[in-house]
Amino acid sequence: MTDAAAGSDSHGGWRALVPVSLLVVVACSQVTLATTAGLTPWKGGGFGMFSTTDNGERRYVRVFVSAVNRSEEITISPSLSDAASRAAVLPRDAELSRLARRVVKRERRHRRPVEMVRIETWRIEYARDTLAATTHLTREFVCRVDPTPASCP
Amino acid sequence: MWIRLLRPVHDQEGVADPVLTLTAIVLLLRPLDVWWVTAIVLTAACLSLLSRTVRRAPLTWILLALFVGARIVVLWPLSDNHIYLLAYWCLAIGLALSSTTPAATLSASSRWLLGGAFAMAVLWKAVLSPDYVDGRFFRVTLLTDQRFADAALVFGGLSRDQMAQNRAFLDPLPTGAELLTPPPFVEPPRLRAFAAVTTWSGLILEGLIALTCLIPLTRLEIARHALLLAFCITTYALAPVAGFGWLIATMGLAQCRPRQRLLPGAYVGVFILILMYSEVPWAGVLADWAVR
Repeated sequence: MTDAAAGSDSHGGWRALVPVSLLVVVACSQVTLATTAGLTPWKGGGFGMFSTTDNGERRYVRVFVSAVNRSEEITISPSLSDAASRAAVLPRDAELSRLARRVVKRERRHRRPVEMVRIETWRIEYARDTLAATTHLTREFVCRVDPTPASCP
Repeated sequence: MWIRLLRPVHDQEGVADPVLTLTAIVLLLRPLDVWWVTAIVLTAACLSLLSRTVRRAPLTWILLALFVGARIVVLWPLSDNHIYLLAYWCLAIGLALSSTTPAATLSASSRWLLGGAFAMAVLWKAVLSPDYVDGRFFRVTLLTDQRFADAALVFGGLSRDQMAQNRAFLDPLPTGAELLTPPPFVEPPRLRAFAAVTTWSGLILEGLIALTCLIPLTRLEIARHALLLAFCITTYALAPVAGFGWLIATMGLAQCRPRQRLLPGAYVGVFILILMYSEVPWAGVLADWAVR
């Protein structure tokens, strides 16, 4: 290896630009998703970690199930936690539908009636000066269920 | 094409062996969370540590990039940012090893990747995030994130009781609820100052690294290395993301020239230091001593 070969002032040709081009495309998509679809800045490949308190740990979902003679909030069981984490981090229709389908599947496995699943996504915010913590509803998603298979969008 | 991707590149043609070795170690140290990705990546990383032929074959790194990328897709959107950087870096190594000037290509790739990552980090902190520049992020994080608790005790002058009270204060109440006697909130001037120093030093350091990586001037080279080393030594003493630190040290090493004798050693030393930061609870020991 020569100094010229290792010279960091060269652009390195197209091979050196492919990885950073990927980085730029992914990062721009992440900024778009964060500003339009509620993706937490900490995730998605945009390098927004340690820039805001709005991370996955300060986001959570609440799931409500209703049917005839039934309307209750359910706890997030271990079988739902992965889908719930994805929905909290990126509260888009796709992630929320996925969680709703898992909820319906679980309720049916336990032979409990389910006609509608309502999901709320929440986040914690802190006041600028006092740091007083408050919770804010960021999204509400309703999934109506056919009597037989789950039919969320 | 395939023969070229399988053919190992000799040392004298390019990339220094420690760059590849440290990248393989990073792959071994990072949990990948998807069983089939973990199996393949750990096997490839072990083989590349044991065999020069595997280590210097471009195909090894291109496959590793694909599998780390697959992990990102399977776990979307939960992967941390350093996993993305790891995938880009493996791809950069594979492409560099298949070029006619591997060292120069990897050096430039490293510089562009670090410049891009740090520029995005600065964009988020300085422009897009609503609560970084006003200091809220570190004021809250130093108190609520267990991983920063020891540093807050040592540098912020808090007692453990005050820390517990502050955490109770920062617990959100249900909408509309209000406590009759809210817990007290204690924020000593030292803690506020520590949060401000952490906020601004991080932003300035990251901004300077982005600039020195993205502006292609040879005379900025020493400044770039000094900033990268300073960033690793200071940031990862507090920030619990060793994976990112190891990658930055390895990518900095890839930018060293052969005539530079001390600099590669400094990067290897920083790699080991970050390992110590992550495995030795130095801040906890200091905190026990400071608040005793």
